[in-house]
Amino acid sequence: MEIVPIGTVVVSSLRDGNGQPTLANFSRALSPMLRASFVNSIRLSVITAVLGVVLGTLAGYAVMNARSRFFRGAATALADVATNFGGAPLAFAFIVTLGSTGIVTLLLSRLFGIALYPGFRVYSISGLVLAYLYFQMPLMILLIQPSLRGLRNEWREAALNLGASERQYWLRVALPILSPSLIGGFLLLFANSYGAYATAWTLTGPDINLVTIRIASLIRGEVQLEPGTADAMATISLLIMAVCVVGYLWSNRLSQRWKR
Amino acid sequence: MKKNPWWRGLAIGLFLVYMLVPLAATLLFSFATRWDRSIFPEGLTLSWWQAVMDRRAFGLTLKNSLSISLAAMLFSVILVTPTAYWTHLRLPKAKPLVEIFTILPFGVPGVVLALALIRCYARFGGAIVYSPGMLVAACMVIALPFMYRPVVNALNAADVKTLTEAAHSLGAGWIATMTRVIAPNIMHGIVSGALLVFSTVFVEFTLANLLVGARFKTFPIYLVEFTRFDGRQASALAVISFLFAWATSLAVLWAMGRVDREREGALGAR
Repeated sequence: MEIVPIGTVVVSSLRDGNGQPTLANFSRALSPMLRASFVNSIRLSVITAVLGVVLGTLAGYAVMNARSRFFRGAATALADVATNFGGAPLAFAFIVTLGSTGIVTLLLSRLFGIALYPGFRVYSISGLVLAYLYFQMPLMILLIQPSLRGLRNEWREAALNLGASERQYWLRVALPILSPSLIGGFLLLFANSYGAYATAWTLTGPDINLVTIRIASLIRGEVQLEPGTADAMATISLLIMAVCVVGYLWSNRLSQRWKR
Repeated sequence: MKKNPWWRGLAIGLFLVYMLVPLAATLLFSFATRWDRSIFPEGLTLSWWQAVMDRRAFGLTLKNSLSISLAAMLFSVILVTPTAYWTHLRLPKAKPLVEIFTILPFGVPGVVLALALIRCYARFGGAIVYSPGMLVAACMVIALPFMYRPVVNALNAADVKTLTEAAHSLGAGWIATMTRVIAPNIMHGIVSGALLVFSTVFVEFTLANLLVGARFKTFPIYLVEFTRFDGRQASALAVISFLFAWATSLAVLWAMGRVDREREGALGAR
């Protein structure tokens, strides 16, 4: 159910209409417009993944050290639910909040005289960054919590006893220990954002130039092109995803080292 | 230990604002009469909710989504639970392979999966490819990790090997062992997995849109259509969608939390 269809796509991406082996599909998939879609998708994914990792780790640390046990549980539950939100309802919630007549847009302009529009548009890539962060950040909180919990207090005390400053402890001890988890989180968030389709489609419509949107419009036959083009784009995407998954598994194994 | 609560408080505050404002905005928007000129809505009304519920398509798409989600949930339970049990007990060597299978759906974007299914099964004709049955099967693939993980965790926690041997030595057959010994012991895993599958499939848009589209409208497709022409009623639909997500997630947490408590209780009794 999973392997065979994907194999079919990879094979047919290497064939032309008559079943002869060819690389023409790939050269079409890398034509300037479609190449731009890869650049956009990768850039969007890198931005949301980096922001997601940084903000998610900070928020995760803050949540974990909150005093109230109830609050910790509630915040984790919120992150848990938000990770699965995504899609159409999320995109719509952002239109209501930050759209041209959105609630926050109105508040900012009426109360503070800050006009978000036309400088900012929620229906653009920058809007997508904000919307994607809504599920990226909670995902990172969930991913990083076990590693943050693994940072033992003794290490910190040992470092401070040996004369390290708080800052040195974080830079020299904590971050190196956390780094495999951070890299793994980045890769998973990257893949998560790269594959997202519903949010982008609802928020920005079919005109935005992202890989998933392009492939979908090829499937729906909105654009007339050789069928192999979609297969080639899918194959390139699968290669990118494979790098992410393998890297994630590898970093996962590295981070186990400190959890004995 | 030195505490620096100011930035933590700030971080938590910003996080909560960011997470809650869009939800609150959508909820308020669905009750507001007119809200594009003033800071606060000019009035409150239930008419958007009324209008959206009165449509025939509302009940139909909700029913479609529920049946797809329930079917995917049922088949996932039936397929994944015995597989996980079998690999756990009999083929520990196959475990890494199965684990890779359960990570793979994360690495395959929904759009690519849809394309792959269409390419692969196109030769059997559109009636099969673009059918609700195909959608259920595709949803099961993407929901596989959500089913497999909790079941395996439950299996790890329950010492299945001893249970199986005990059941066998007392004369139970395979089916009796599965249904009357193993299943009750890993029930919390099965329930959490099933709920996660349900909530994942319920909000699934990509596959539904590309595989069945207008032929078999699901709730998310209906919602996206509405965002294009009536924001108020769309916000009511979005709220319903959020409520579904919350309800199932809380049910999962409840199912898992109950197990933790039971375990604590058992430890205390010892």
